[in-house]
Amino acid sequence: MSEELVKVEHLYKEFDEGNVILKDISFTVKKNEAVAIIGPSGTGKSTLLRCLNYLTVPTKGIVSMGEVSVDAEHHTKKEVLELRKNSSMVFQQFNLFKNKTAIENVMEAMLTVLHMNRKEAYEKAEGLLKKVGMLDRKDFYPSKLSGGQQQRVAIARAMSVNPDVMLFDEPTSALDPEWVKEVLETIKALAKEGVTMILVTHEIPFAREVASRVLFMDEGRIAADGTPEEIIDHPEDPRLRQFLSFMER
Amino acid sequence: MFNTSYFVQVIPKVFMKIPVTLEIAVISTFFALLIGVIIAVIAYYRIPVLYPLTRGIVSFTRGTPLVAQLYFLYFGVAIYSTLVRDMTPTMAVCLVLSINVGAFMSESIRGALMSVDDGQKEAALSLGMSGFQIITRIVLPQAVRVALPPLFNDFITLIKSSSLAFMLGVADIMGAARMEGSMSYRYFEVYAVVMIAYWILITGFGLVRVRLEKHCAEAF
Ligand SMILES: Nc1ncnc2c1ncn2[C@@H]1O[C@H](COP(=O)(O)OP(=O)(O)OP(=O)(O)O)[C@@H](O)[C@H]1O
Ligand SMILES: [Mg+2]
Repeated sequence: MSEELVKVEHLYKEFDEGNVILKDISFTVKKNEAVAIIGPSGTGKSTLLRCLNYLTVPTKGIVSMGEVSVDAEHHTKKEVLELRKNSSMVFQQFNLFKNKTAIENVMEAMLTVLHMNRKEAYEKAEGLLKKVGMLDRKDFYPSKLSGGQQQRVAIARAMSVNPDVMLFDEPTSALDPEWVKEVLETIKALAKEGVTMILVTHEIPFAREVASRVLFMDEGRIAADGTPEEIIDHPEDPRLRQFLSFMER
Repeated sequence: MFNTSYFVQVIPKVFMKIPVTLEIAVISTFFALLIGVIIAVIAYYRIPVLYPLTRGIVSFTRGTPLVAQLYFLYFGVAIYSTLVRDMTPTMAVCLVLSINVGAFMSESIRGALMSVDDGQKEAALSLGMSGFQIITRIVLPQAVRVALPPLFNDFITLIKSSSLAFMLGVADIMGAARMEGSMSYRYFEVYAVVMIAYWILITGFGLVRVRLEKHCAEAF
């Protein structure tokens, strides 16, 4: 039995009065698992991911990561900071720091959050950039990098804090088609290495190939949860079938 | 007839006062920046109580002429405040200019802070960085590039506005010229020199501004 790294219990998110986006979400993620979240647009996939590190504060429910457990109804700033140290996020829009070069982006949290010295941080950042194939552009500013290159730097940056879990929110959907492959390859390599990850994606074949588990979200709920074979090859839920056939087109 | 020799004679008398004008402009710019940053940060974080208060001050300074503000302080407020009464005219001018220009500067500073997209802040938060680290290491370095050209423009405007100081008897470029003119009555020559002095100053700083703008536009 491998250990549970992420545990979400009865999570709710209500944006405005009556506008309930997440409804009673519960699931766990084990160490080394790569969980893909799929589902129609606007069902709350991003919201769920953002609730996991409190970029969006949930209305109700408990999020646990490693040793930290945060209850939405009475959480402290300190708990949230701890929670954030256990995960890191890769965004659709990359969100690199524009005033910093590729390697400075990767070093930033090592210096400010992990309090490593510059030399150590620099060496580790070089290692991470090498891993995502960006070492030769380490001194480039984000404005001089393609979308795919920026996203690979963002992945290296997210890895820099040794997160227990990597959160990806549609990491390729803002990319021009020609850059999608290199980013997916990078993520695939991480999954192969056993990096625990939760990945929201519209790339169904990619989810099929990389994920060890797939969650199907529909209207704020987890409507199906199983292996890629169960969810993608042999879907039972009618809404899931409809969604998959829509995505094939 | 235009008196060339008198014109030449007046040039050094007026140009000698350029440092006085620059002194007022530089001191006022310094305090205006300070006030501008404080007001902008209050607006950026929408700090309760202080935010509506600064909104009021900004609205009042932007909605009234500089001369009125100067007279209100130096002749009006002075009646009730010994602090203001004890001020030298130069200090009073600097105070009014600092508040006035600070109010304008706060808008460009606030805009520059807002120009840094939320995505970068969220990325920083998700890595576990603190609010202070985010503002000092991510937001401010980017905001400075955006704010610098308009702030430098405000400084140039301030040089022009400082010419009001003569109304309180300060011997700046305008003040010196007025005195000279009242003795010789050759107002055309005197104020022609004044025009040239300001034109050189402002055009000179204008060139600096162009270079600054180019430098700042070279985004990282
Ligand atoms: N800050 C917010 N305030 C109010 N409503 C919001 C906010 N953020 C998201 N929503 C709403 O929550 C719903 C779910 O949004 P979310 O971005 O989580 O969907 P998604 O599944 O990620 O969609 P997509 O596949 O298009 O990215 C949407 O209806 C959206 O309008
Ligand atoms: Mg989304």
